Order: sequence, then structure tokens, then C-alpha cells
Amino acid sequence: MLSIQNLNKSFKQAEGDVVVFSGLNFEMATGTSVALLGESGSGKSTLLHLIAGLDQVDSGEIKIDQSSITSMSEAALAEMRRHQVSLVFQQFHLISTLDIIDNIRFQAALCQRFDSDYEALLIDRLGLGKQLKKFPHQLSRGQQQRVAIARSLLHKPALVLADEPTGNLDEQSSLEVMALFSALVKNAGSSLLMVTHSREMASYLDRSVLLHSGKLGEIGAA
Amino acid sequence: MQPSSVLVLKAVFSHYWRHGWQTLFLLVGLIAGVGLWSAVQIINQQARLSYEQADSLLGVQASYWIHSRTGKAIEVDDYIHLRRAGFRQIFPVVEAEVSTQQGQPISIIATDLFALPNNLLDSGEGDTASDWLSFVQPPYRAWVPRQLAEELELQPEDQLLLRDGRRFPPALIKSHSQQGRQVLMDIAAAFALLNRETFSYLVVGNIEADQLSQLESLLPDRLELIENQQHLDLQELTQSLHTHLSAMSLLSFAVGLFIVFNAVRFSLWYRRPTFMNLRLMGASSSLLLSAVLIETLLWSFVGAGAGIVVGLQIGKVLLPGLGASLHSLYDATVDTQLIWQFDTLLKAWGITLLGLLWALTWPLYQQLKRNSLPANLISRASLDERQSRHYLALSSLALIGVSIFLYPRIDDAISGFLLLGLLLFGAAWLLPTLLAFTLRLVSHLTADRQLIARWLIGDGWAQLPALRTAMMALLLAMTANLGVGTLVDSFRSAFVGWLEVRQSADIYLRSSKIDYDRLLDPQDSSTWLADSHRRIGVTSRWQGRQTLIRGVDTGAPDSLKLPLAQWSGITPEATLKQWQSEENTLLANEQVHYLAGLQLGETIQLQTDKGLIDYRVIGFFYDYGNPNFQFYLPYDEVVNYWTQYHSRGIALWLKKNDEATQLLAEKAMREAGAETGDWILQSQVRKLSLNIFERTFTITAAMNALTMIVAAIALLASLLAILQERLPQFAQWRALGVRSREQMMIIACPILIFVLVAWLLAIPLGAVLSWILIHKLNIVSFGWSMPMRWDMLPAIQLGGVILLVVAATLMLASWQLRRRMPNALAQLGELA
Repeated sequence: MLSIQNLNKSFKQAEGDVVVFSGLNFEMATGTSVALLGESGSGKSTLLHLIAGLDQVDSGEIKIDQSSITSMSEAALAEMRRHQVSLVFQQFHLISTLDIIDNIRFQAALCQRFDSDYEALLIDRLGLGKQLKKFPHQLSRGQQQRVAIARSLLHKPALVLADEPTGNLDEQSSLEVMALFSALVKNAGSSLLMVTHSREMASYLDRSVLLHSGKLGEIGAA
Repeated sequence: MQPSSVLVLKAVFSHYWRHGWQTLFLLVGLIAGVGLWSAVQIINQQARLSYEQADSLLGVQASYWIHSRTGKAIEVDDYIHLRRAGFRQIFPVVEAEVSTQQGQPISIIATDLFALPNNLLDSGEGDTASDWLSFVQPPYRAWVPRQLAEELELQPEDQLLLRDGRRFPPALIKSHSQQGRQVLMDIAAAFALLNRETFSYLVVGNIEADQLSQLESLLPDRLELIENQQHLDLQELTQSLHTHLSAMSLLSFAVGLFIVFNAVRFSLWYRRPTFMNLRLMGASSSLLLSAVLIETLLWSFVGAGAGIVVGLQIGKVLLPGLGASLHSLYDATVDTQLIWQFDTLLKAWGITLLGLLWALTWPLYQQLKRNSLPANLISRASLDERQSRHYLALSSLALIGVSIFLYPRIDDAISGFLLLGLLLFGAAWLLPTLLAFTLRLVSHLTADRQLIARWLIGDGWAQLPALRTAMMALLLAMTANLGVGTLVDSFRSAFVGWLEVRQSADIYLRSSKIDYDRLLDPQDSSTWLADSHRRIGVTSRWQGRQTLIRGVDTGAPDSLKLPLAQWSGITPEATLKQWQSEENTLLANEQVHYLAGLQLGETIQLQTDKGLIDYRVIGFFYDYGNPNFQFYLPYDEVVNYWTQYHSRGIALWLKKNDEATQLLAEKAMREAGAETGDWILQSQVRKLSLNIFERTFTITAAMNALTMIVAAIALLASLLAILQERLPQFAQWRALGVRSREQMMIIACPILIFVLVAWLLAIPLGAVLSWILIHKLNIVSFGWSMPMRWDMLPAIQLGGVILLVVAATLMLASWQLRRRMPNALAQLGELA
């Protein structure tokens, strides 16, 4: 599903280049979920950005469903994100001017892949039924994150990339949202790569990998 | 360690280093607004200075003029007689109009250079004694002002060729403060060039009271002494024109201020976290307020200083055209060398500071009264927007109410422009409510449609707070453009039609030596003359204004078609017939009606040489551009009652208006005593009149265009501010798979809707503006009216221009977005 070969990435800074990845390799099978752990500043979010085509690699190759994204144009990357990849961030990034139902349908409407039964299921499982006509700022953080999750899954993407999706929530809400999230990703048949600091959160997923000194190491099956 | 106040200042000011675009737009807004305002201030100041010098001819104060009572020329002997009697302050003047071979009319002014003070030739350009001597010795010199020389492509020592083959003396190209567009030469050179030996009039310099009575007793009966009241007249006559210009410059300043307002608002908005952090760290509100006030002071210094420099440059470009118009319309000479005055800078700084304080007060008050940073800036902005929209709408209704109350009470240019200002700002302040209403309407219409339509409308609400001010600026600029454009078009249309009737004769001849009987002899003139109209006139003052009582042939072709604005009979033709047949009736120009309040059918008393005579006003005729009053009476009536009448020339209609007939006419005119420069062809008169017209409105068109540019900058500034503010949001859209063209569509569509609403509002508002300009302001300012000519084409063209402006600003914004998007995408997910 996701294949990373010999990935190199560094950032230019005043005091010289800072190497983030040097010859990083990673494979992830379709329908699996992987937790990406690592210290702050180890490059977890950068790796997620590179996989989503939000940032450019220095060298190496990233393939999603056999398609190399490292050689794609900006327009092709947008198409890839629209149809194959979903992103969930800590800040939810909902569209403030649209109501909740439109936010949930947003990406599905963009890629014109809409399943009303699945929408009903997501709304029901995420407990958003009474919030649909509200606007994002009228919801709690936990509810906003559920909306972001519903949006990321409604079009059943091949790959879901999540960057600390529960980082903005309290512990109880985090656990509830995580349980729902991992179950719904499985239900959608999508793969999930999730950045987290928490081993507890990682325990909800199939595998955990640790990013350290620019290399990925397997922690072991959950 | 630095003191805390310095640290606070550093933190507050650092915003401008980090946000170059905002800094640039703030500067552009300030400089553009101050520049346009100060350009007109400098021009007006220059004109006023020139009026103060206007009663001086070539450096000599004219206390009085000596003219011939009959309008004839003054003989050299009369002048010599006065000089020998000890009146050294008297000097002679010859004025004439000639045409170059290319048909360009040239005004000549000549005087006896020996009779003038020594500083005459001091143009401030290092004149030498040899320059001076060359003027008074053959082959003489023609002193051509720089601007005219440039127009004629004349080089130093070139000799202008006249239509009849004569040549000017070699050109000396220099400008003198009161020379205007006239070519100056010594009287001997003028005598040789014009083949004449008489003066047009004499000028009397400073004169004591006892000398004056001596001079009066010495003057022969055929000459009269006229006091110089030009200074007073010029101030009064040109006041309205200068008020018009000032009003336009204030509008430009207001539009510039919109940019400033936007930039300041955005800069405060962006610095909310900084202000909040500084307060959390213990900086007091008064310290923050002081920091912002210091910032305001610095901006006002920079804006006023740079704005004045730009204003001087704009003034330099616009002044020659305006100076030429003032000369043509009011005979006022405005020096085209700009004089810099310190008080202009002070005034510019004052209004800049006031404008900045006004732009800062409300946002700063809101800033400081809040103690926490809202979680969602967009929704906070929407709440603020709704509240301020309501305030603006209420203020708008109040302004419109006051302007409706004022409308019937307008009695001068200042109150008229006050009304226009209230109305324009009233409409501008109503615009945000109209934009919100339109969004709600479109939202209602698209409620059940595709999500993308709802997204688009939703984004419109998010953009409204940032675009509100720019849209108001755009509305003002478009309204001014349409309103003033309609005024100019209406005037052009009325003026051209009027010229065709008023200047229907083929040749206009005015000469003091002409023998009319010989010229009009039926036998001699049968080959070329179809009709003629001899006019006479008496100049006097009526109701405090210079007035011409004109004696005309009521049966002449141009009299029979005299364009009447108001008439007492059933038709204009019937009224003109009544004027021909009924005794003691007269026609007056519109200025008499509007400026002196005379009504149709009223009887006025005119002072004649045979006492007061009653005349009934039976019609008012159009008399465009004339600052004076004018009465038309039958020719014989004037001859009968005013013995001191003088000739106002003769209009000649040729049998065929071709070169051969014109040459026959010229030959006949010369044989009857006319000299070169005494006559002018219809084509030249019309060209001259239309040139004056076009020049008069050049400054208006320039101010309009500049105001439109300022409004376009306001739009661009707002768009870029939106991009800067919402970049993380746009990056998120891209992360969701939104294509860049979809993104631009979402950004562009609400802007296009807003611009469409502003344009649609500008059309009726522009029509109202032109209606008030034409039917109120023009009348109270200049005393004449014209029919309003409304045409949709300029509005459609303006719509096209605005569309291009919006497209250009969107392209710039799109380029900015593309440039900054990679960085924004890379930062996606980071905590703000």
C-alpha cells in the first residue's frame, strides 16, 4: 500500500543543514494500521507531510498503491490527496463557514464518492446526529475531532494519515475517540498511519514503529 | 538591558518588518491620499498667489487702465502726451490674436520695454543685458513661454510662421510669472509684425490720488479710466472651480484613507497575540497605547512628507493644463512654476495624523477592551463585522437623511459638496449591509444546491470583513467616475451643439479700424458674403458683477437660432420673434437668472445715458463658460441709449466656405482696414473653444483615474491581507485535495459578487451624483444649466475596467498564494 525507499530529507538552517531522514525505508500493507512513535523533533510530522505530498523529498521514493508521488506535479498531488489520502490533524481544520453536515461531506463531495448509508453509520457511531446543522465553533473540541474523523473516512480513502489526532483532547475523550477512529478505519477498509506520542494510543493499531535518528525501527506487533 | 518601553516598541513595530506587503500598502495609501490632496492644494495655492499678482502686468501694478470709449485703438500721440505730462507709470500694451500656418491660435502681448521697470525681464533664469537689448533692437525677440514652445515644437531662435506668411521675431524661450501662454515682445516688434501703429490700451501703475485727478482732467473725451478690479473678480469667479478641485482631492484623500484604514485594521488584528502577550507580561494598556500613538506619529511624518513630494510631481503635471483653462475661461494667468509653501506640509501632516487617528481609534479601542484572544479569529471577525455593519447602516441612514434635508437648501458650492460628501459616504456605509443582504439572498437561493455553492457563499461571509473597506473605496471611486463622467459628457454634448449655433458664422472679425460700410458694400461683397451680423456692446457692472449689454441684430442667422434655456412665449421661436418686435424687452444669459435671481417676465432697470430704462426679461439664453452677466438688446436700442458703446466685431457668413471665398473675404477685410490678427475663422474658434473645454476637464479625468488606481490598490491590499490571514486555512483545503483553480474560484467568486453589487449601486449613485452636479452645483457655482445626458455605455465600460482590475488583483493574489503555499503546506498541523 505504502512503500518508502531510501528517503532523504534535510532542512536548511542558518547553522547548516539539519538532516531529518537519511536512507529511510518503510513498507505498509493495505488495510493495516501503523503507529509512528518518536521523540519531539524526530521528524514524525515531516514524514507524514512527505507521504501526503505536502512537502518535497530531497531524494528517494514514496509510493502509494504503486504510484510514485515523488515525481508528481502539484496538480497530480492534489488529485491523489482528493481521492486516495485523508489527513486528520490535531487542530481539526474544519471549515468554519460550513455547517457540520457539509464539513463531513466535504471531501466526499470533492471526489464525488458518496455513500449515504455509510454516512449515516459514521454519524451514528460518532454521535454527531444532533450537531449536523451547527457550525464548528459551536461544538466542543472532542466533537470537532469526531467531525474531522467522519470527514476523513466518508469517501473511504486508501490511506488515512493522522497527526496526533487526539492531542487536543483530554485523556478520557482521547481514548474514546481513538477506539472509534481505529474501528471505523478498519470498517472503511483504509490503511492508517498515525503519529502519536502515546504508547496507549499506539496500542489501538496493528503495528508501531519508532522514528529515531532519521531511521525507522519496528517496535513489535500490538 | 534595554528599558521595558523600548522592548514594547520593538515588539509592536517588528510587525512591519515581518509583513512587508502591509507596510507597503499602508505607505501607498498614505502617500496616494496625501499626494492627490496636496497636488490640488498646491495648484489652488499657486492659482491664488497668481491672482494676487494678477493685477500686475509684467511686474507693474496696474491701478487703472486707459481704454478707448468707443472700443477703438489708442493713438501713439495720446500716450506720448501723457508721458510728457509726467505720468511715468503709464505704459502701452498691444494685444492681438494671430494664427500660425498650422492654424494654431497665438496670443501676442507687447509693450514699450523702455517704459517698464528694470526687473521686467527677470525670469529668474539668469537674464543678461544682451538679452534685454536684443528685445528692443531689430530683428527683436519673441519671448515664448516654455509650455507653448513645447506645444509648437519651437527651438530658440526659430521664427514662427503666420498664416499670412509673416514671421515672428526669433524666439527666446523662457517663462515669466504673469506671462501665461502669451508671446511677449517689444511694441516696435509688434507694430512691425501686425502692421499697426496703435495701442490696445494703456496701463497706469501706482498712482497718487492727486495725480489721478490730474490724469482724469488730462484725458481726452474719447478715452476712459477704468479701475482695476480684476483681483477681486478673479478670486470670486474662480472660487467655484477651486472648490470643485478641492472636493475632488478630498474624495481622493478619503479613498486613500480607506487603504490606510484597512492596513491599520489588519496590522492591529495581526498583532492581537503580540498585544495580548505583552499585556500578560505586565505591559500596561497606556504603554501599549503610547507605542501605537508613536507608531501613528511616525507614519504621519513619513506619509505627509512622501505624499507632498508625490503631490508636487502630480501638481507639476496637472498645473499647465489647468492654468491654460483658467486663462481661457477667466483671463487669469497662473504661473506654471510651482511654489513650495511650508504650510502645505503642515496641513498635509495634520490631515494625515487625523486620518490615521480616525483609522486607529475604533480598532484600538476594541483591541484594548478585550482581555482574551478568541479561539477562532474568523468567527470573531464575523461577529465584529455584523456589529459594525449595523452601526454603519444606521450612520448611513442618518447621513442620507441629512443630505435629503440639505438638498433644497443648497445655495453655494461648499454646501453642495457637503451634501455630495454626505450622500456618497452614506451610500458607502450602506454597502456592507447590501453585500450581506446579497450573500444571504444567494445563500437562500443555493441552499438546496451543491455543497460547493454553499462553501462559496460561506467563504463570502469570511471575506466580507476584510473586503468591506476596499469595496466602499471602490464604490466611491466608481461613483465619482460615473458621476463626473456623465457631467463631462453632458457638458460636451451641450457645448458642441451650442457652439454650432452660436458660432455658425464662417469668419469673426474685430478691428478698431474697420470701415464697415466699405466691407459690407453690396456690390463689392456680392461675390463672397452671404450674411453678416454686426454687434456692439457696453461694459458695465450690474449686481456687483461685470456685465455686457450687447446690441445685436435680432434678424441675424445666429440671433434667430439663439439657444434659449427658458422663454416666456409658447416656443423659443415665438419668444425670439417677440424680442424682435416688442420694445423694451431683452434676453439675458442664464447666469443672470441663477446667480442674480432674476425671473422670467421680471422687469429690470438699466442705467443708460438717457436715464433709467425698464426692460422686461422674456428669455434666458445658454451662455456656457461665461463668468459674467450678459443682456441682449436690439442693435438700435443700444445705439440709441448708450452713446459710449463700442464695437464687438462682426460675424460674416460666406457664400461658400472654401479657400477661394475665404481669400476673397480676407482681401475685402484688409481693404476695409482690417489687419492680420483681427479676424478668426470658424474652425479656429471652434478648435480654440473645444481645446479650452478639453483642457478644463483634463484635471478632472486625471483625478478620476488616480482615484480609481487608489481604489484598485485598496482592493489588492485587502486581497493580500486575506491571503496572509487565511493561508493556513487555504493550505488545509489543499491538503483535502482542493485544486488550485478551485481554490481561486472560491476566493474570487465572492469578490466578484461584491464588485457586482458595488458596480450596480454605483450606477444609480453615479446618476444621482451627476444630477446634483449638473442641476445644483453647476448652477450655484457657475450660473448655467444644461440637459443631463445619461448613457449606459460608460457604466458598462467602467464595469469592464473594474473586471480587469479585479482580474489583475486576483492574478497577483494567486501568484502570491502559489509562492507561499509550499511553506504553508509544510507547516500544516503545527500549532498556531
